[in-house]
Amino acid sequence: MHDPSKKMPGETAFAVVLVGLSGFLLWQAILISGFEALSSPGAFPMAAAFAMLVTSVAILIKTLRLRERAALRFFSDVAPPVILAMFAMMLGYALLLKPLGFLPTSLLFLTVSIYALRRRGLLWSFGVSLASLAVVYVIFRLVFTVLMPSGLVPEGEILAWLGHLFSGGHIQ
Amino acid sequence: MTEALQFFLISWLDLKLLGLVALGTFAGIYVGAIPGLSVTMAVSILISFTFAWDVYPALCLMVGIYMGGVYGGSRTAILLNIPGAPSAIATALDGYPLAQKGQAGEAIGLSTVMSFVGGFIGIGVLAVAAPFVSEFALTFQPRDYMLLAILGILLVGSLSGESLLKGVFAGALGLLIGAVGLDPLTAEERFTFGMVELWGGISFIAVMIGLFGVSEALIQLHHIDKAAVKQTIGRIVPSWRAVGKYLPLSLQTSSIGVIIGALPGTGGDIAALMAYDHAKRVTKKPEVPFGEGAQEGLVAPETANNAAVGGAFIPMLTLGIPGDAVTAIIIGAMFIHGLNPGPMLMIEQPQMFWFITGALVLANIFMLIFGLTGIRLFTKIVEMPRAVLIPLILLLSIVGAYAVNNSITDVYWMLLFGAFGYLLKTYGYQVGPVILGVILSRLIDENWRRAIISEQEDLGRLFMGILTSPLSLVLFGAVVFIFISQTPLWTGLRARFGTARARGDGV
Repeated sequence: MHDPSKKMPGETAFAVVLVGLSGFLLWQAILISGFEALSSPGAFPMAAAFAMLVTSVAILIKTLRLRERAALRFFSDVAPPVILAMFAMMLGYALLLKPLGFLPTSLLFLTVSIYALRRRGLLWSFGVSLASLAVVYVIFRLVFTVLMPSGLVPEGEILAWLGHLFSGGHIQ
Repeated sequence: MTEALQFFLISWLDLKLLGLVALGTFAGIYVGAIPGLSVTMAVSILISFTFAWDVYPALCLMVGIYMGGVYGGSRTAILLNIPGAPSAIATALDGYPLAQKGQAGEAIGLSTVMSFVGGFIGIGVLAVAAPFVSEFALTFQPRDYMLLAILGILLVGSLSGESLLKGVFAGALGLLIGAVGLDPLTAEERFTFGMVELWGGISFIAVMIGLFGVSEALIQLHHIDKAAVKQTIGRIVPSWRAVGKYLPLSLQTSSIGVIIGALPGTGGDIAALMAYDHAKRVTKKPEVPFGEGAQEGLVAPETANNAAVGGAFIPMLTLGIPGDAVTAIIIGAMFIHGLNPGPMLMIEQPQMFWFITGALVLANIFMLIFGLTGIRLFTKIVEMPRAVLIPLILLLSIVGAYAVNNSITDVYWMLLFGAFGYLLKTYGYQVGPVILGVILSRLIDENWRRAIISEQEDLGRLFMGILTSPLSLVLFGAVVFIFISQTPLWTGLRARFGTARARGDGV
């Protein structure tokens, strides 16, 4: 996807950000223990940050020298709306996970994103999401026993009730 | 010996473990086959779910996914001309032309059997060589470990990406990420910005899922509308004659695969390309020209990339240095399970080594079985629309990142690294060296400090030590060579040498 002989939109800015990041990290690394000894806790981070700074500056110079520009645009080829929207959806998922719980948040996330990506009707998207979520739930919650926030759905109680049902109604 | 055999057979005799290897291999084949979903992605997401497990079942699943995934990439390379994994890039060169001629079934069958052969040879070499390498590794000095780890990062950085500069940047970034938290030797805070949450460092799983899961899924969003292509598949099981005919070639390319796989930092993708190149050179009169559907061009990369799996386990188990991104992740998982891969693992816990070898053989057998059957189900899964697949992967990424520590902070880290990884990839940086750097950070840091303390903080003495030890000298030479090979001086020299040789040939 990336052609090294052509400059992509945003490439220079990204290279500048990386130089800034490297410089900041080098500064932070020096703050750890200064130049007290070659075996100090800060020596290795300083070396790594220094390598980052040198390479990022070299990359920036190379990028600045590129004359030819790729026929692309930042908001349609590098960060098109679909990618930004998907990323925002994931952020939303992370925010809602604790208050709403795993099942409602996941169902919402899957339905909205599948609908937005596929555009084949809301009901279809909801059905597909429900089916996939059921599979995910069985595999990860029940087989892998991964604990997720339960939130609004009293998952534990439902599972206990189901277990109770299958054990023939006897309470151990 | 009988003890070794006992450990070797653990996964064969326990029904649960057997099932997990089968499940892992099956999942690996399908995940590897879906374009855009790499083995690294599958292993990194799935590992997060196995933390609560014992070591044995967790390893069974990972080994299966790794073996299956390396093979699975060949399917879509043949059918759709889209390599499902980087290690299948070379497979597409002749595999797709074969499919266009209506020989997709034969091509799949041959590549399956040859992957099996290659996988077997790789594991055989692992079983024979690892005990010796590990004994040899006991003589390694701290400086040798440090040099070897740096070499690994540089190899990944220089071979798999567009420039060494970007590779070194990515590797150094990984080293820094690995250094965040309390210093293991002095408990001094490093890059914690006064936050207690950062004392334990950034969750390795969050970094990994972000870089390999989320960023790859985001990139796949660019191709959301690409329709799946259907192919008709005929005979799958190849004839004995065909297998026998390519056996000599497969032995050669398997050796290439094992050696490349065993080099720290290089994996199946490079092994496959080198093997393809080798096949092109040694096959004097191919029935069909290379690139137009030569079966040799299919056999070579497929044997090599599966042989590289066994090879990659050699440095991982004997030195604690990963052979590629997937083994880096497996090492991370082993750390979390309290295991410490390295020469002492072989001495203190030989059962672990034989257990892994046994599981690898088992995975290889399952790969053959699943590879030659279930083709119909396979086409169904590959045709699954991306509009459904990608949201599911993103969902699993979040669940995986959350599940390890039950911490929402890890999810935010994962998202941050997902976005960052997406930008890195878009602008031509590789993410493989980052994860290798994270894994090797502590090893380099500790060994550097041990080495320099034992030389009384004297750089001159450290250099003398390197120059007077043959092993250190070779490793140091290799590190220097990688740098020189990327400078204009070297390309100039090579061009001159190349023209001289061409002239020599002409005489």
